[in-house]
Amino acid sequence: MSVEVLANLKKAIVEYDNEGAAGWARRAVEAKIDPIEALDTMTVAIREVGDGFGRGELWLPDLVGAADAMSSAMPIIEEEIERVGASRESLGTVVIGTVYGDIHSIGKTMVATLLTAHGFAVNDLGINVTAESFIAGIKKYHANILAMSSLMTTTAPEQRKVIETLKEEGLRDEVKIMVGGGAITQEFADSIGADGYDPTAAGAAKLASSLVGK
Amino acid sequence: MALKGFTRNFKPLQILTEEEVEAIHRGTLEVLSVTGVRMEHERALKLLENNGCKVDYDEMRVRIPPALVEECLRRAPSSFPAQARDCKNSLMVGDNAFYLGVAPGQQTLDLDTWEPRAATRKENYDSVTILDALPTAHFFTPYTPYFGFKGVPPCMAMLESLAARIRNSTKFQCVGFSNDSEVFAIKMGQAVGIEILGTCAFAPPLTAYRDAVESAFRFAEAGLPMRIISGQVMSGTAPATIAGGIIANNAEVIAGVVLAQLIKPGTRVLVKDFSSPMNMSTGAPVFGSIGACLHNAASNQIFQKYGVPIDNATCYPNSKRPDYQCGYEKAFRVLIAGLSGANTLLLHGSVYGELTHHPLQAILDNDLAGMVGRFMEGVQVNDETLAVDLIEEVGPIPGHFLNKAHTRKWWKLEQFVPKAADRLTYPEWMKAGKKSCLDYARERMEEILATHKPTPLTPSQEEDIEKILEEARKYYQERGLISGEEMATYQESMKSPNYPYG
Repeated sequence: MSVEVLANLKKAIVEYDNEGAAGWARRAVEAKIDPIEALDTMTVAIREVGDGFGRGELWLPDLVGAADAMSSAMPIIEEEIERVGASRESLGTVVIGTVYGDIHSIGKTMVATLLTAHGFAVNDLGINVTAESFIAGIKKYHANILAMSSLMTTTAPEQRKVIETLKEEGLRDEVKIMVGGGAITQEFADSIGADGYDPTAAGAAKLASSLVGK
Repeated sequence: MALKGFTRNFKPLQILTEEEVEAIHRGTLEVLSVTGVRMEHERALKLLENNGCKVDYDEMRVRIPPALVEECLRRAPSSFPAQARDCKNSLMVGDNAFYLGVAPGQQTLDLDTWEPRAATRKENYDSVTILDALPTAHFFTPYTPYFGFKGVPPCMAMLESLAARIRNSTKFQCVGFSNDSEVFAIKMGQAVGIEILGTCAFAPPLTAYRDAVESAFRFAEAGLPMRIISGQVMSGTAPATIAGGIIANNAEVIAGVVLAQLIKPGTRVLVKDFSSPMNMSTGAPVFGSIGACLHNAASNQIFQKYGVPIDNATCYPNSKRPDYQCGYEKAFRVLIAGLSGANTLLLHGSVYGELTHHPLQAILDNDLAGMVGRFMEGVQVNDETLAVDLIEEVGPIPGHFLNKAHTRKWWKLEQFVPKAADRLTYPEWMKAGKKSCLDYARERMEEILATHKPTPLTPSQEEDIEKILEEARKYYQERGLISGEEMATYQESMKSPNYPYG
């Protein structure tokens, strides 16, 4: 029974089936399957899709479709984890967003999905995110990684502003900061005091792992 | 007399049937009236509500009734003049005129490594000089040639860039908006007696942020023309289908047309069709794609029906250097835009996406533009060009046409001669050092820089431009948008004896 439910949960994710993923997540809870095991199954599923994407066999709509299906199932499993008092293990907790003044979301969403596939707990704050909202997000989710995206040279300085605000709030040492986006270079990342930069989404996931020593 | 640009002397390419045009039109009206658009601007929402739109203030969503859409499309001029610093460079946008503009790049290219790097102040000014000299670069767009240059803080990039173009060129100018930069841009235009085409840019899907709407108010109220832009990526911020993408784009830009016509009836607007499919591996837009060409051609057909001038955005290539791929990606865009009735398109200088620009590329683009412009003029058919009497006079071999006055007159009118192309025979080519078009373009670049002297501003105009820049610097410093460190670097760069030119 448990094997069948988990196999179907995984299948729903790799087939981009939001309703199916939520349905099989509920079945897993009803069948009293260890929610951590269910979470692991989902991570395996999303990683499979992420790996296919990395090999050039799958494409962005596949990656985003699988991430959406996983997001449909996630609250159900998370609620169960909390109910049974289990602790969810992740490589780290990420707060991610595109900075204020910038409305480009696709690159940021790709990074968020691949970070999830790598086993991070990712909280995507969306686009046009102010320094204040980033800080509120870091506090709310107890994040240990902050990831900021900026496509435009005119909005790149906003990344510096967020880092300066973190310093003022005494939170700078609480998080590792990674930056990316079309307007960002290693030189710029160094100049604003970020901990890491990578020009690709796949590289960003590896960078996040190395930043938390995993 | 305005700059002629290119003229299309035949019917535009029509790739949609009447029924298909109507279906897309109906779909657009439905999206505007049922789904509506989000406009984050209270004054705009009130204006739209007062004119019969349904407004949800909590969601900042406005739903526009079809009758108002159609009325506002009628109010928008189908063609309009736009004043440049030299009236010979003013534009008459619309109808069968086709103007090509300079395309922006964030950075310049290193010609040895083809890697991007920041342009210097001198490189920025020199590029403007080269573009001023290229006859097919009819106008300048925002952030051209570069998105700022070394020493300039990002918030001053738009204005420093505009100042460079006003100083080193008499061609027509456009600006974008960023942190109220348009207020200073409008002042610069007034200082030198030119009209500046402003920008109101939607964020797809179906959203206009506050600063974009504010920019529309500022330009319309100043009696200036504006571009209404969106910039969809099909599959990401718009449907994957070209027809669906057109409906989404048109809903956005037409909402902008409605806004502009309500702010000030008769406001001169140029709508933009800027759409690219997504690269499904990287998420980046595929700029130089044939899908974008189809989107352009179909949109042109629809806006001709509306009687509103249309811009076909930028033919950005995906290639990182001026090579075969760069050439075909640009050629398809510019040729199809011209044939299908676009009124403007940005071409000159862009290398990869909007990330790099180089005057060498602009010189190559000048040839490409010339070829397309020649094609658009079409075939002249009259007694003289039919040349029946001449054919009779020459007769069979040994007769020939090379020594005829008719040939001397007509070959230059009929042929387009590119300035930087290799058209030699093998022996000539080997003797000349096996040069390619890149070598010729580089020689031409050096020649233009040595010989072309842009018309300078008068001393009082120059003083006014510098005063406005100084006012903007203070404004941004007071708002904390220029850090102390940035200001120090900026001031250092202004100490050059060649300031502002180098």
